[in-house]
Amino acid sequence: METEKKRTKEDTWTSEELKKHLRVSQSDSWSEDKKQKEKKLQRERETHDMVDYKGYMHKDQDKERGKTKERTGGQERYKSSERDRDRIRERERGKDHHREPEREKLKEKIQEKDAEKEKHIKTKDKEKESDKEGDRKYRRDDRKQILIQNNLRTHREKDKEQHRRRESKDQLEQANIRDEARERRHTEKKTKEGKKSERKNSLSEFLTVKDEGGRHRHKSHRDQELNKDRERSRWDKREHEHSVSRKNEKSSKEGSHELFVIHGEEKYVSKRPKEGFSIEDQERQMSEDNEKRQKGEKEIKKRDLKDREHKKQQKGSREEETIHLYERTAEDKGKNIEKEKKEDAKQRQHQGEHESTWKPMQRQKSEEELEVIDNCLTNYEDDFEDYEDDFDDDDNEDDNNNEDGDSEEKLREIPGSKKSEIEEIQRAINAENERLNTLLPKQIQKEHKKEPKMERQDSPARGSFCGMFMDFETANQRQSNRNMASKQKKRSSELLRLIDLDFSVSFSLLDLPPVNEYDMYIRNFGKTNTKQAYVQCNEDNLERDIQTDEIETLEKWTQHPGDSVLVSGGPRRSNDVSVDTAVTPKIDSQRLTNFLRSACQVIAVLLEEDRVATQPRWNLRSRQTSLSISDSCFQLNTNLPFLHGRKVSCLHISQVQRQALLSVHGLPEKPGAVQLDRKYIICVWNVWQPSSPQKVLVSEAEVSCCCFSPSKATLVFAGTKDGSLVMWDLRENSRMHQCVKLNETDWIFRAPTFSTDGVLSSLNHTYPVLAIEAVSTSVYKEQSYGLSHLSFQEEMSGLSFHIASMDENGTLNLWVAVELQKVDLAGSQNDLGLIPGGKVKLVHSSSVQLNSSLFPKDILYLRTPQTLNIKFLPSNPNHFIVGTDIGMVSHGTRHDLRVSPKLFKPQQGGPRSISVNAVDFSPFGKPVFLVGCSDGSIRLHQMTSEHPLIQWNDSTNGQPVIALQWALTRPAVFFVLDASSTVYIWDLLENDLCPVAKQSIQSDKVTTMVVLGEPEKTNGLLGIALAKQSGIIDIQYVKKKWALPQSEESEKLQLLLQQSL
Amino acid sequence: MALATGESEGLPSSGNTYSLRPAFQHKFRSSTVKECIHAILKETLANVQYNPEETPQLTQSLSETIKDGLKEKGFHRYKMVVQVVIGEQRGEGVNMAARCFWDADTDNYAQDVFMNDSLFCVVAAFGCFYY
Repeated sequence: METEKKRTKEDTWTSEELKKHLRVSQSDSWSEDKKQKEKKLQRERETHDMVDYKGYMHKDQDKERGKTKERTGGQERYKSSERDRDRIRERERGKDHHREPEREKLKEKIQEKDAEKEKHIKTKDKEKESDKEGDRKYRRDDRKQILIQNNLRTHREKDKEQHRRRESKDQLEQANIRDEARERRHTEKKTKEGKKSERKNSLSEFLTVKDEGGRHRHKSHRDQELNKDRERSRWDKREHEHSVSRKNEKSSKEGSHELFVIHGEEKYVSKRPKEGFSIEDQERQMSEDNEKRQKGEKEIKKRDLKDREHKKQQKGSREEETIHLYERTAEDKGKNIEKEKKEDAKQRQHQGEHESTWKPMQRQKSEEELEVIDNCLTNYEDDFEDYEDDFDDDDNEDDNNNEDGDSEEKLREIPGSKKSEIEEIQRAINAENERLNTLLPKQIQKEHKKEPKMERQDSPARGSFCGMFMDFETANQRQSNRNMASKQKKRSSELLRLIDLDFSVSFSLLDLPPVNEYDMYIRNFGKTNTKQAYVQCNEDNLERDIQTDEIETLEKWTQHPGDSVLVSGGPRRSNDVSVDTAVTPKIDSQRLTNFLRSACQVIAVLLEEDRVATQPRWNLRSRQTSLSISDSCFQLNTNLPFLHGRKVSCLHISQVQRQALLSVHGLPEKPGAVQLDRKYIICVWNVWQPSSPQKVLVSEAEVSCCCFSPSKATLVFAGTKDGSLVMWDLRENSRMHQCVKLNETDWIFRAPTFSTDGVLSSLNHTYPVLAIEAVSTSVYKEQSYGLSHLSFQEEMSGLSFHIASMDENGTLNLWVAVELQKVDLAGSQNDLGLIPGGKVKLVHSSSVQLNSSLFPKDILYLRTPQTLNIKFLPSNPNHFIVGTDIGMVSHGTRHDLRVSPKLFKPQQGGPRSISVNAVDFSPFGKPVFLVGCSDGSIRLHQMTSEHPLIQWNDSTNGQPVIALQWALTRPAVFFVLDASSTVYIWDLLENDLCPVAKQSIQSDKVTTMVVLGEPEKTNGLLGIALAKQSGIIDIQYVKKKWALPQSEESEKLQLLLQQSL
Repeated sequence: MALATGESEGLPSSGNTYSLRPAFQHKFRSSTVKECIHAILKETLANVQYNPEETPQLTQSLSETIKDGLKEKGFHRYKMVVQVVIGEQRGEGVNMAARCFWDADTDNYAQDVFMNDSLFCVVAAFGCFYY
């Protein structure tokens, strides 16, 4: 292995060597003389040393072998120390170079001393010690110089160096010894292998040399040459070995050391120009120093060798070797100076790694040796050994350097990129600090030298050159970092003005609450040891039952409103689908009831008439028709339980329906039926149906006067002594009123529909009402003679009439009867006088104070006349006449129109205390009226004249006239009743001075009389109803001669009246 | 419990024209990031049992996957920091919180938690805008 490697290396080196040989041969000539001198001197010394050396060699040999084994392990350490030593040597040499002569002297002296010492001291050890001492002395001296020169170095470095030196001194001897031993072995080896490994190049080189030296010499030289080559190759090989060994040791992925070294060098070289100038200068200086040191070291070595040679010489051997060495060193001195410049340049290119500088030097040495060999005929082997000793040192140095470099590389590379990163960071930090502190680059370098050392304490002896190398690189990086940092800083400062940085709120990334133990247990082990067992029990076999009975349905129908009898129906059963097709004819029950009501009335009347027609004579006859004036008479059946003992105070015949008669019954003299004792009764009679009254009206107050509604006898109005007006609506349903069963017969006593009692108090009469009159509003209708037609129209037009009521105080109130559209069975809230369910109410229209308006001042001056009765002019309802208690009748209008005459006076005298008891307009449309007075006088007045047409004074023998009324069928006939119950019949056509007939009723006192008859019928039925004090109402039909109208009676009467004027 | 982080850098700026705000469509949106994280977690950890030996690699690979996934989302000029924490579910309570010193207008974060019977995984992705 080794040999092969050596060869390959040798091939490479030989080509280089050739060139160098050429170069050296040119430069050799001038230093020849010098060399010669030195060689002589050396020879002398070496002779002494030789013996010593040999002995030393032998003695230490055993030791060395032992150490060689260790060497492989401790190689690194040794090498590092050796390298330091080399460096020191170099420095010393550099210094020594300047003081060469002095040193030579010194050396000589020392050598002489040594020689003297050696003489005395036999033992090698002592000699060695002295050698060392001498070495030390020199080195110390040198060191001082170094310190002076290298003021750039820091104290720390010095300390380091000192430390190294101490180490190196200790190791120096050992190393030398070792090297020598090794060299020996090598030489032995080489001698054997030399011939085999000869090559053409080396042969051709040394052909010229052959002539000068002998064969042996030539051979030895060749061996030497080979040796050298081998040394170099060995060095190279060692490099490889180291790298291999390291590879093996660490089994790491780092590449070959050489590559790294080269790479580092290149890097360094490329970076170097960029570095500061000062650094370059420094470097140069350092390299120069190195050169000097190298020289110094060489000399020291030589001196050592000399010392040894001296020792050897003392033993009498190996003279030539020392001489040769001396010669060589002398040559070196000369050449080194020349080569310095070249080497400097090389150094710069080769990154100051002195291995590269040393190699050429070694080659030069070997060439010098060739020349020396010519002169010397000494033992070549020893020479070789010596030479190799020196050479090996260099080799070792080279190795060490290389290895150091390797180790450095290793340190740099092995920790990997992390360390470099850390370094960079540190460098950046340092750069920052430096910038801040404005330190010099030197200091930076120092700091940076410290750092690597501190980091790599494993390799204490670390090359300063390598430190320098680091510095440049880092400085470069630092520079770039600084640039980058400043850029970044600028950027950040610009940006920070624009950006607001703030602390965010704390984001909760995960909040996992702890699970309690039980849950955890259940989750982990809850499912273990459990098994799901399935059981099925014929679940799908289900039975379903219907639990409810079938719903029976039946179709039924109803009708609303239930007018017909059949309001509901439908098939009896569900299966009987046949619909009841036999629909009963629809019956309008309302129409039926209305029809039946009216029909019943008609039939009842017919039946009554039929009975009357058949039986009245019998009845009347049986009652002994006492009156001479009458053809027939009958009585209204007042023999009713509720009418017993009631005196009839007033009778009234409807103007439209002539058969309708009102009889007012007063309170009974002795109490009879309990319920009606306190009540006044009005009976509505149909004259054709005298058996019972049509309606029985009940009033709480005493009724003084009453009347029917003018158009149709459906309403009954009554004035009371209390001053109130009472109204009955005869159309009201009987169910609304009280029904009392008396003597197997149901009697309905109708309460008033409306009463002003207690309501309308401000407008009501405050005096007893004396008279009440229905006033038709339609003037024209009244003017027409066709009363039936009129009545029909009235019926159609509704309730369009006024009610006039007059009290004792002369207040005339006009009322309007209003029919309500809506019936409220619960009673009205507003109309308090209205009976619940009532439809008609009275509304006050106007009020006239007759006393002030009717009478002139002169009459009023005497006394206020009392009004007694009132009659409206049939042809013009706006005019009315009022009978007074002064014998006069005043004429008034409803609208305060001026009328004349204002007063209708008797023929003689002024106002007298004669009350006008009865006033009656002629029913045939003539504007004449009769006035019956309390003095028995009867006056016939014309509306146009104040005074009467005719006045009869004593027709009644002074008896006051109670009632007076025109006959309805004959215009010239009127009936008079006086207080003595005598009825007088006047026929003006027949006799205009006295009554034509006179009938006195003795049995019973007649309280009032009313004339009834139907003027539209020509049957000549004219009757007078006489209310007697016993309560009997007699109806006497007067004789036909007075009843049947005569031809042209009106004209005759007119003529009569005109004549009387 | 293992922890791994992966970083990625967006495009560097040129010159002194700083873009102080990300484009709206490139803004770091928590929802999309969360969706992305969630999808990856669901896919990766669906049937994974906790194994202390494998978890560190799992966290690393997860963080790398999520980081790559976020890169594809096109948050330009955003520097992403993805933190993945995987821990075993043993019933212990865990509380994790984060706090940031940043520009709240541009920077944002998204986090998602994945849990199964044996482990829980918390992923927090922080996006810092590179101005």
